[in-house]
Amino acid sequence: MKTEKLHKKYTAKELAGAFVFRNTLTALQTEDAGKQLAEARKKLQKKHTPQDILYAGVLQLRYQIEEYTASTQYHAHLSFAYFLRAYIKLSYKNNKDFARDIHIDETELSQILNGHRDPSEKTLIRIELHSGNLLPALYWFKLLEKEKEYELETDHSLREREEKYVKNRLRFKPLPKKS
Amino acid sequence: MEITDERNGTNKMIVIELVEERDYRKLSKSRYWFDWRTEKDYLVYKLRLAESSDILGIMSLIHYEEEKRFAINLLAVSKENRGKQKTYGNIAGNLIAYACREALRLYALEGCVSLVPKTELKEHYIKQYGMLDAGRQLFLEGRPLLNLLKTYDV
Repeated sequence: MKTEKLHKKYTAKELAGAFVFRNTLTALQTEDAGKQLAEARKKLQKKHTPQDILYAGVLQLRYQIEEYTASTQYHAHLSFAYFLRAYIKLSYKNNKDFARDIHIDETELSQILNGHRDPSEKTLIRIELHSGNLLPALYWFKLLEKEKEYELETDHSLREREEKYVKNRLRFKPLPKKS
Repeated sequence: MEITDERNGTNKMIVIELVEERDYRKLSKSRYWFDWRTEKDYLVYKLRLAESSDILGIMSLIHYEEEKRFAINLLAVSKENRGKQKTYGNIAGNLIAYACREALRLYALEGCVSLVPKTELKEHYIKQYGMLDAGRQLFLEGRPLLNLLKTYDV
């Protein structure tokens, strides 16, 4: 089927609401198009306001947390503390000012950021409120949960230590092989 | 993210995710217009209802990392969702908004989404999605990109 058939069936507005067609530019036109786009982007970037930069930064963290918590992969560096540090860095020069703004002790924040202490539910809610609800407490909770899941799954020494406390363990015969 | 059921005006939750190899068998030209197997080297996303595996829209993106840009190479809404008689609305808009999400996720405010429009469709992309005119290409970046994310509640 040719594109003309689509034009007979649909209006231009309907086509724009349903398709992006393959680019048919020549190599020369593509080069020209690239230059035009670079120029237009450069002009636009000069107009970015600090407010837009901050908003985009918080939204970027939101999407990164969504992506990471939805995946089955675990990456040790993508911790709660990593994302909180990134969040603080968007609008503060030091952690102390952030601690003051969400009304927690500076030492407590430092312990959280260094992974020596888990944040309380109150802290999660305060970060949610501070972010204008762009980073809900649930997102932060999911990051903590992901760390706990990994720890629980991979802590072999804890399993060895706990072994002696478990008696009368269920034991199952292997299932017969299917013929 | 949601699309609108045009039959009763209700909204339905959607999922946008990467196409899997087995999906290509379902992507017929009669329903999705293009031969989508030609897009296998790119990032190909499908849109479906959260409650169903049926593909309602599909989009291929080319990632230009050095330019912090995603170019929409192809996009098509399934046959029954085009024109006046469509079952669901906002499918293309949601796919474009998703491309914006990916650009922002990787590059914050410097992320960009572009496309090369057919001349006769250019003004409609500008009107429908708030795209900016860069001559031969249209693009979304900065405030217009943020606006589209807000419109589609991404």
